[in-house]
Amino acid sequence: MDVVAEVVGEDTHSLSLADGATYADLCRAVGYSPHEVTVLVGETPVPEDRPVDAERVRVLRLIKGG
Amino acid sequence: MSCDKCGRDAVYHAAYSGAHLCEDHLRASVEKRVRRRVREDGLLPDDATSDDPERWVIGLSGGKDSVALTAILDDTFAEDPRVEMVALSIHEGIEGYRDESLSASEELTEELGVRHETVSYADELGVEMDDVVESDPENMAACAYCGVFRRDLLETYADEFGADKLLTGHNLDDEAQTALMNVLEGDVAQTAKHFDASLGPFDERNESESFVPRAKPLRDVPEKEVALYCRFRGLPAHITECPHASEAYRGEIQQLLLKLEENHPGTRHSIMSGYEEFAAIAADRYRGDERAELSECERCGSTTARDVCRKCRLVESIEAV
Repeated sequence: MDVVAEVVGEDTHSLSLADGATYADLCRAVGYSPHEVTVLVGETPVPEDRPVDAERVRVLRLIKGG
Repeated sequence: MSCDKCGRDAVYHAAYSGAHLCEDHLRASVEKRVRRRVREDGLLPDDATSDDPERWVIGLSGGKDSVALTAILDDTFAEDPRVEMVALSIHEGIEGYRDESLSASEELTEELGVRHETVSYADELGVEMDDVVESDPENMAACAYCGVFRRDLLETYADEFGADKLLTGHNLDDEAQTALMNVLEGDVAQTAKHFDASLGPFDERNESESFVPRAKPLRDVPEKEVALYCRFRGLPAHITECPHASEAYRGEIQQLLLKLEENHPGTRHSIMSGYEEFAAIAADRYRGDERAELSECERCGSTTARDVCRKCRLVESIEAV
């Protein structure tokens, strides 16, 4: 499916993901490990193993230097 | 997907345990692990009383980890007369970056009513990190200077404020990285020191009289969960990369661990579980080898194995440029 993923503060990606792809797969497709970002659908984080079900999401980087 | 505990929409999947959690139950789970670690490490000794309370100095950078730690400890112990808490922030002289995180620290401590103290490299050492990275007399990464200075000031001021323990916000990812680095560097002596300095339960450590004992109550919680915790609680945490961040080797280990964790969920937990056991054995083996050689730095009085401590030698080198 086609998804637009905005990495907050960085680039916006237009992705074509395989059927059944999860939000963890989406993280990898924009270059991040699912352990260092969270995907927001609207304002709400979604579980990493949930199949992608939104056409537009934001990817928020959570892990940077302290 | 629903929360395993209550059936509401899950916001997080912990691949290492298989759990799906909603906002409220992720928060509760993080808090539970911190409280369990405080208990299991024996942070609050049985002889602490309201007349003779235990004093904890918390290293508060204003980043997500130390903010979450301070908030959870305040929730748990603010009303407990056996515990006194002081938050200690260090200003390294990094324009913009540290000013913003200090604002977060001030906002948090005001809101909680926790005593907050700030010391700076400029006042204490006569140096600022923005200048140090420019001159770089030892041809080192910025973090190599900054780590020495920060540890020295945390230690000095924890002692100054009468700390029984110095608590820092290291999370599971930080600790697994350090463990793996020590193993890959073959540094068994460092692993032994790690156990006695901050890793082992207090009743199993060989504590040095020369240092304030340290502990890391957040070290069972993965970094992502700490960040989500701050977001869900609306805590004023400052999440920005230090402009001088340059710990190349740690960055390489971080990426390796993230990859391993994806392919083999639970890797960080199993590294720490094995490393702690290994560190306890190493500490037992190395005890007595070096303790006797510690003395006071002849310039600043900090505890050191040499005549002049590493911090004073670095400051001298910076001043000579």
